[in-house]
Amino acid sequence: MHDLTQRTRPGANGTSGPNGTAARRRSPRELVPALAPLLGLVVLTVAFVVVGTVSGVNMSYSVQTLINQSVVIVIIATGAIFIFAMGSFDISLGASTLVAAMVGGLAYNATESLVAMLVACILTAVATSLVSASLAAVFNLPVFVTTVAMLSVLGAVAVALVQTTGGAQIKVDSSFARQYDTLPVKLSVAVAFLALCVFLFTYTRLGRVEKLIGGNPVTARLTGVSMKKTAIAAFAIAGLGVGLGAFLTVLRTPTMTTSSAADIGMNVLVAMVFGGMPISGGPRTRIYAALLGGLSMAVLNQTMTTLLATSSAGNGISQVVRALFFLAVVWVATSGHRSKLLPR
Amino acid sequence: MGAGLMRRATGTLIIPVGAFVVLTALCSLNGVSLFHTDDSLLLLTRGVATTMLTSMALAINLNSGRFDFSLGAMATLSSVVGATVAIQTGGGFAVMALVTIGTGILLGVVSGLVYVLLGISPMVCSLGITLLYEGISFAITGGANVSFLLDRGLTSFAKSTLAMVLVVAVGLVLVYTVFDRTRFGFDYRALITGQAAAVASGTKEKRNAVLTYAVSGALMSVVGLIIASQMGYIEAGKLNFGSIGIMFTAFLPVFIGGYIGRFSNDKLGFLLGALTMTLVGLAFAALSLSSTVQSITNALLLVGFLMFLSNEERIGRAWRSVTHRRGASPSGPAAPTTAATPNKAPVTSGVNAS
Amino acid sequence: MKISRSTALAATAALGLSFGLTACGGGSDSAAGGGSDPVKMCVLVADATSSEALGFKDYYTTYIQENFPVEFVYSEEVGDADAEKRAMESFIANNCEAIISFASADRPTQIQMAEDAGIYYAVATGTLSDDQYEEFKDYQYYVGAIGPSLGVEYQAGYDMAKYFVEQGDTRFAIYGAGVPYYIDMHIYRTAGMLAALAEEPSTSYGGATDFGAILGKIMQDGTVKVADFQSDVYELTGYHEVWSFDDAAWQANLAAVVASKPDVILAAGTGFAVFGAAVADTGITIGDIDAYTDENGQAMKEGLVGYLAGKFTSSIGPIFAATYAAVEGHPIRAEGDTALALEQGYWVATSPEQFDAFLAGDTIENPFYGKAELEQFANGDQGYDTFEAFVAAYTYVAD
Repeated sequence: MHDLTQRTRPGANGTSGPNGTAARRRSPRELVPALAPLLGLVVLTVAFVVVGTVSGVNMSYSVQTLINQSVVIVIIATGAIFIFAMGSFDISLGASTLVAAMVGGLAYNATESLVAMLVACILTAVATSLVSASLAAVFNLPVFVTTVAMLSVLGAVAVALVQTTGGAQIKVDSSFARQYDTLPVKLSVAVAFLALCVFLFTYTRLGRVEKLIGGNPVTARLTGVSMKKTAIAAFAIAGLGVGLGAFLTVLRTPTMTTSSAADIGMNVLVAMVFGGMPISGGPRTRIYAALLGGLSMAVLNQTMTTLLATSSAGNGISQVVRALFFLAVVWVATSGHRSKLLPR
Repeated sequence: MGAGLMRRATGTLIIPVGAFVVLTALCSLNGVSLFHTDDSLLLLTRGVATTMLTSMALAINLNSGRFDFSLGAMATLSSVVGATVAIQTGGGFAVMALVTIGTGILLGVVSGLVYVLLGISPMVCSLGITLLYEGISFAITGGANVSFLLDRGLTSFAKSTLAMVLVVAVGLVLVYTVFDRTRFGFDYRALITGQAAAVASGTKEKRNAVLTYAVSGALMSVVGLIIASQMGYIEAGKLNFGSIGIMFTAFLPVFIGGYIGRFSNDKLGFLLGALTMTLVGLAFAALSLSSTVQSITNALLLVGFLMFLSNEERIGRAWRSVTHRRGASPSGPAAPTTAATPNKAPVTSGVNAS
Repeated sequence: MKISRSTALAATAALGLSFGLTACGGGSDSAAGGGSDPVKMCVLVADATSSEALGFKDYYTTYIQENFPVEFVYSEEVGDADAEKRAMESFIANNCEAIISFASADRPTQIQMAEDAGIYYAVATGTLSDDQYEEFKDYQYYVGAIGPSLGVEYQAGYDMAKYFVEQGDTRFAIYGAGVPYYIDMHIYRTAGMLAALAEEPSTSYGGATDFGAILGKIMQDGTVKVADFQSDVYELTGYHEVWSFDDAAWQANLAAVVASKPDVILAAGTGFAVFGAAVADTGITIGDIDAYTDENGQAMKEGLVGYLAGKFTSSIGPIFAATYAAVEGHPIRAEGDTALALEQGYWVATSPEQFDAFLAGDTIENPFYGKAELEQFANGDQGYDTFEAFVAAYTYVAD
């Protein structure tokens, strides 16, 4: 959280610096925390299968549901990793998804073209994201607080967009949407975007620079990295993710109101962290964290629904279990990276 | 000395007084009054109380680089427990207040312990804690509102201006004393300015962190108590981060508080920041602005103020160059800025300062 | 505390294990429940906290579940179309046999999903628009809708305002509840209130005097603007909306509405819950469209609520009966084998005595729509005409 405090973290220069990890083979002591999110997903999947089989759940439908419910989160969260890797923080992702989806919906209604809708979603999301980035870069603002303000502004923009229709909602023809709201469409969008992100993050300079900035911004600046350019690239990619997520959101939920996509923002955050993403970014950033975390969350939600839906406090208890599991996974995932000082 | 005091007083008061003047002017331009109702004083004190306490709760951890999403969840859960116990025992407001604050402290301690024992990032920790506390509130009530609308014993507290003034005064004095006048407070400051050095010199960081969370929990429990008493019921069914909204109301006062703190004391700053934002709220109501306009205005105020903070230096320089030029061209070097430094040549004082 | 790798591993394993065990425990419990498996009915709720919603839930999970071989599974509070879809997917995956929906963000999608999955689906406490009904009325698994139509919602708002006008009140404040969220029923009720006031010749809202134009104006603005209210006779002293309890400006506006000293606060919903604590001892009366609950009854006794139009708790009995009958193989269909579309209105109480009479006539132990009344339809003994009359019998006639 350099944004809020403008200080380097005490753990940043700790045992697993950016130079050490790649060169030598990992000891089991490092491997376990690194594998914790995966382990969590495996445990959750086993529980899901066991619970599902015992309770007579329709497994094939259930698996489809899992994909349906996690794909938008996974896409947006994967894009957002580019922002978080630098130690920045964007809390307005849910609101920008909504605004992009609404503009996409309006574009479709005006043109009846799928492509126009896709383009509108992406352009809106990228533009929104770049506004945050530019505000932060040009005016020297902390990114986190900029996005807090963006959250309010985008919420108000969504209200204004709905008002343009003179009704309660922005509605896209549902038979059109159903045509494309299919697993192949979702999976191809997801695979294409994830592949792009993995490539950019792992095989280009961008990923390395981002980790460097996240790990130690001072060093990054001294080595001549352009913070502004990197930030703008990161926000653009995150915007692309939001745009694609918004596109799939319109197809999935063609009726949009001001409260649509409300929980996406926080769920994206939880998914990343659940998947092992350090919130302060840096060298331990993994591009696949969102995929692991998004799936884990969806599996856990499904299982808890099956188990607890009949009790009146069920939703609350289910969330308590989710919280405990979340803390446990994060704890194990970070167990190899502790210093004597408390993390900040 | 006198100039220093003047500068400090100006820095401390410029935002609340400036806001008051601007808002009063805006209201009178629109033919309404900022304090247009009999309840205005109550509203003002109550708004200041909740906003100030929330800002302090946010700031005391934020100062140490710890961001806490769970403030709203702590306020809700502590007041749910307090109200439920008070309703079931018939113990009235005293029981509700004691149990609520006790629970708040406990929740703060639990947050702190989870953070300290697990050793994970405080923001991530607060995500888990938020989910946990929301889930517990829901599980206790089955998702229903805890309602005591007709129990005047419980609802009269938030209707008393005196009680609200007392809350503000006691809150301010307590937080000031704890953080500025005790060993704990000195350690707290040492940890902010130099974490590694403080720990190396024997400061018990973990204990300090847990206590800070406990104070934060206590402050939020009072916020929960006031909101519950005011509404006559508590919405206990918010899940999936539905409780984090209250935190956003505290950002601007926290930054205003930080700014004012440079001139006097940040605790006083939170009070004045809360006062400023409550005045803005009163003006919104007086001007009958829609909720959309309100949220945009608030967002712009936040961004605007941060722009000012982040670019203060630049703005100051630009301001000085503008005043300097204006002073220089028509009437020669005799004009403005001279009052404070009569013995120096005005031209050089302007340049030196930048 | 030092955390070693083995502790960490053990913890994860323990958590996973306990999770698995809970799973097995939960599974065997439900398998062991009763001789014949109960019918699993899933309920989609957009509001899980209001007294009305809790009353409904109580009726289903206490009374109906005890008297019929059914098991109710409730969704969490779904706030938008996507949440509705997620909840529907969970229901279908978990083998629900029927879905009763209280959520209206995107009804067409819900109906389509249920039809595709071959699960019976019914709308409670609401109706479809005419267009939507035409689209879905022939669907095999669409049971139908029973509840107040938007026309009834308009009438509820209109009647309430009219009542206070006839009482001689002239100073009104309005609480629009979910108007900015475009919750249809709140918009229609609010428009109804303004339309009732606009019957007086000098009165208009935004220049409009008839219901349609007033509705259009509110739809366009997404709010009610006090300045747009013109009248020589009445005064609109204030307007408030939504439920932002922790927002200072919202609180200030709430207090400003109370301080404007209206005779009456006309609420499009949850009026007492929002204004109850604030109006105590001020002499302001609340007119509310809510539910018959103990708390509202008490509020009426204390004079805080002067008018209550409300759904009674067991009003959702008939839609259950129709859904249950469908699952049991005796669907009740309207003429031409079409889905049900039946209207229900509100009970209106203007005195504590009336209120108590309504409340006493419909308790959880002894509801207005009880086992005996519902069973005849559940078993397929009665046809559509009887059912229609049965639903219409909601109109409570106090003697």
